[in-house]
Amino acid sequence: MSATGAADPGASAAPPGPVNPGGAKRRLTSSLLVLVPLALAILFPLVESGNQGNMSIAVFALIFMASVSAWNIFSGYSGYLALGHAVFFGTGAYTIALIGTDWHVPAGWALMALVPVCGVVAGLVAIPVGMVALRTRRHTFVVVTIGVFFIFQTLATNLAFTGGTSGVQVPFVSWSFSVFNQRFYYVALVIVVATVALSWAVRRSRFGLQLMAIRDDEERARGMGVRTARVKLAAFVLSAIPVGMAGGLWAYFLGSVYPTSAFDPLFDIALALMGFFGGIGTISGPLIGALLLESLQQYFTQKFSANGLYLIVYGSLFLVVILLMPRGIVPSGAQWLRSWRAQRAEGSSNPTAGAGVAEVTR
Amino acid sequence: MSAAALIEVEGVSKAYGGLQALSGCDLSVPAGSISGLIGPNGSGKTTLFNIITGYERANAGEVRFDGRPITNSTPDRVFGLGIGRTFQLTRIFARLTVLENVLVATQRSEGWLRGLLRLAGSASERGRALELLDFVGLRRLADEQAGTLSYGQRKLLELASLLVADPAVLLLDEPAGGVNPTLIKQLAERIRELNEAGKTFLVVEHNMEFVMSLCHYVTVLSQGTTLVSDRPEVVRSDPGVLDAYLGGEGVEDSDAGEQAEPPLAAAQTSPERVRVGADRDRSEPPLAPRPAQLTIEGVVAGYGGGDILRQVSFEVPEGGITCIVGPNGAGKSTLLATIVGLLRPRLGEVRFEGERLNGLSPGEIVGKGISMVPQAHSLFPQMTVQENVELGAFTIRDRALVAERLTAVIELFPIVRERAREKAGSLSGGQQRLVEFARCLMLDPKLIILDEPSMGLDPQTRGAVFETVAVMNRLGRTILLVEQNARAGLKLSTQGIVLETGTVRLVGTGREVLEHPEIAALYLGGSVDDSRTR
Repeated sequence: MSATGAADPGASAAPPGPVNPGGAKRRLTSSLLVLVPLALAILFPLVESGNQGNMSIAVFALIFMASVSAWNIFSGYSGYLALGHAVFFGTGAYTIALIGTDWHVPAGWALMALVPVCGVVAGLVAIPVGMVALRTRRHTFVVVTIGVFFIFQTLATNLAFTGGTSGVQVPFVSWSFSVFNQRFYYVALVIVVATVALSWAVRRSRFGLQLMAIRDDEERARGMGVRTARVKLAAFVLSAIPVGMAGGLWAYFLGSVYPTSAFDPLFDIALALMGFFGGIGTISGPLIGALLLESLQQYFTQKFSANGLYLIVYGSLFLVVILLMPRGIVPSGAQWLRSWRAQRAEGSSNPTAGAGVAEVTR
Repeated sequence: MSAAALIEVEGVSKAYGGLQALSGCDLSVPAGSISGLIGPNGSGKTTLFNIITGYERANAGEVRFDGRPITNSTPDRVFGLGIGRTFQLTRIFARLTVLENVLVATQRSEGWLRGLLRLAGSASERGRALELLDFVGLRRLADEQAGTLSYGQRKLLELASLLVADPAVLLLDEPAGGVNPTLIKQLAERIRELNEAGKTFLVVEHNMEFVMSLCHYVTVLSQGTTLVSDRPEVVRSDPGVLDAYLGGEGVEDSDAGEQAEPPLAAAQTSPERVRVGADRDRSEPPLAPRPAQLTIEGVVAGYGGGDILRQVSFEVPEGGITCIVGPNGAGKSTLLATIVGLLRPRLGEVRFEGERLNGLSPGEIVGKGISMVPQAHSLFPQMTVQENVELGAFTIRDRALVAERLTAVIELFPIVRERAREKAGSLSGGQQRLVEFARCLMLDPKLIILDEPSMGLDPQTRGAVFETVAVMNRLGRTILLVEQNARAGLKLSTQGIVLETGTVRLVGTGREVLEHPEIAALYLGGSVDDSRTR
């Protein structure tokens, strides 16, 4: 279990760690940590059904929660910073738009049924992209993923079937306003839950252990029989699928797709920022990061329109978190909690405690 | 060699640019044996390991495992065949727990999909992993993050994490390097037990006593070729080996064996050693008492997970050599980190020339005239030797002064000029040490702190390094060193300090500490084995 174990709902159920007397209590705590947010998420539209502005924010937040969580399955666990996942987001978006218009799929649930197809197409695209990009490591890998991203953006602008800069219109769905947001909300929630379940499954699997071994020391992992190339590629493809689905849903939600909005460099950066903000390599971190930052951004956009004022607040919040919690909210928070507990435990046994905490200043 | 060879290396060559690391090297590891691979620094031992295990490609030659060629395979395939290896600089998965580290290798080449569907560590695998942790004495740390382990513990973890896959052969790269004698003894016992259970070993090691007493066969590499390969007693008495390996100066042989020798008997029993002892005695006579330059007073410190140093107090006299010895995990590195300001003590005080250092940044402390050479590999490998040395003085604006210092440093370390334009990473371990010393002298420090200066060096180089330490001291610098090779370190020193579990157990002159009856029990343990004399 990583340093984040304590605050991670999935981690406490992971196998390592002997059965301790507090196990039942911990299991209860961790199931509450999963069930309460889930229940809140399910109930949210019932409370907010009258407020379409907030519902729309929530849909965007869920789309990003799924995307960051999926990105984390690869980048968080393997330590490879991918800055090109907009490729899969855009692929998903174009998939639903093009199939929807070209094959005249009726708008409504039929079109919604294409969302998983978006994931599959994104996964297929991820195979060659991963095979090329994963030949490199570290900084080179980051640069290659960015490069691949721009290739895709250029392709979307110039290929014959993508509609060029005028984009593609997704078939219009004639759901009433209130039903519209609610339905998209629940579909997005299903994608989020599925992605988190995948993330959790990866984390406690052998496959996940191999990924994290690669993160810590790839050369040695190879020397211990881990087929690193396959494991990395598999994780890369797995992480592309939910991003593709999120992209498809996003395009359907907005109603139109353009090269610059579907293949958006800011999306690449947003995933990484939200991931780091919440804490990469954890299950809950990406969810918290995406929920906070995307909601905030959408809220500010609604409130102050596009005058950019929100960026100041957004930036300040970011700085504060990075200063106080350099490893992200979840890992740093867990560390605070642990040292607080340790100090409390020590305080009762060791009279010299409390004189100040030894501090590493490097 | 009667048994069939499990690993055979035939005529393997490897060049890095212009540097010929291996040229036509042969090696044979009989099944069921413990084989040793020795040779001076830079003779190609690690390169050979890398080629056998698929980390590097040979330019020529063949490697066979159990009769089948495995030349230029990949590390994961080689491991799948049953060849496990450890690394010279111990490598573990720092952010996984100790138990998870062991679980990584439980799978043997299964597809990722099966891996995804299976939990990391079934009950039986976890049981096996815990058994192995028990075997190496780390079970109680199973749920700790591996990054928190001490150096010696990491070595043991590395071994356990290989054993879980049940490899037929284990290649150990300096298993005893930087490990205290008691632990070395344990390690030797473990290796013997495993060998009796059928495992074959190939061991690279500088600790001669360790190799000679443990191994059934020893192969000597010199400048990339196999010099001799035979039983240890034959290798030991081969004059060619002595010449090649020890540079013709047999006296230095003592250093290798010393940490493993029965502590007090070493200098007296064997006639060979008497000569050695006498030779060593020419090093500094104890200096007259001098005022304390560095004072450590009641220091309590740790990394948040409990105190590692508990009330440490001692003084470092000006102009002397002070050597801190103690078992792995005693807090030696933590103490040095506290002195140079990388770690803030929770309680207590560090004073340098009467001035309080607590709370100063590492940079400010360097500015006071304290310079530290860390445990290993602190050079920037992609920069040239000269750039590395010049970096030592980057805080000095006065270019004339830097040039002047550089000239003085080159005089002391000719290698800085000879290899000036080569990348520091291309130097051998011993050469890198000297460049590190040179770099630290660029700031003209009053106090030089050395963390394990002899680690990973062959006896000849080690002798040269200790000699250099003495020279730097004669030039007026106070030296504070932490040394795993306690005997050599203490002999060199005017003051010896024994640290154990975060407290100072003994303080005295180097000789007093060395000859103190308690130190044998406290620190040096017994001899690696008495079987050498069987």
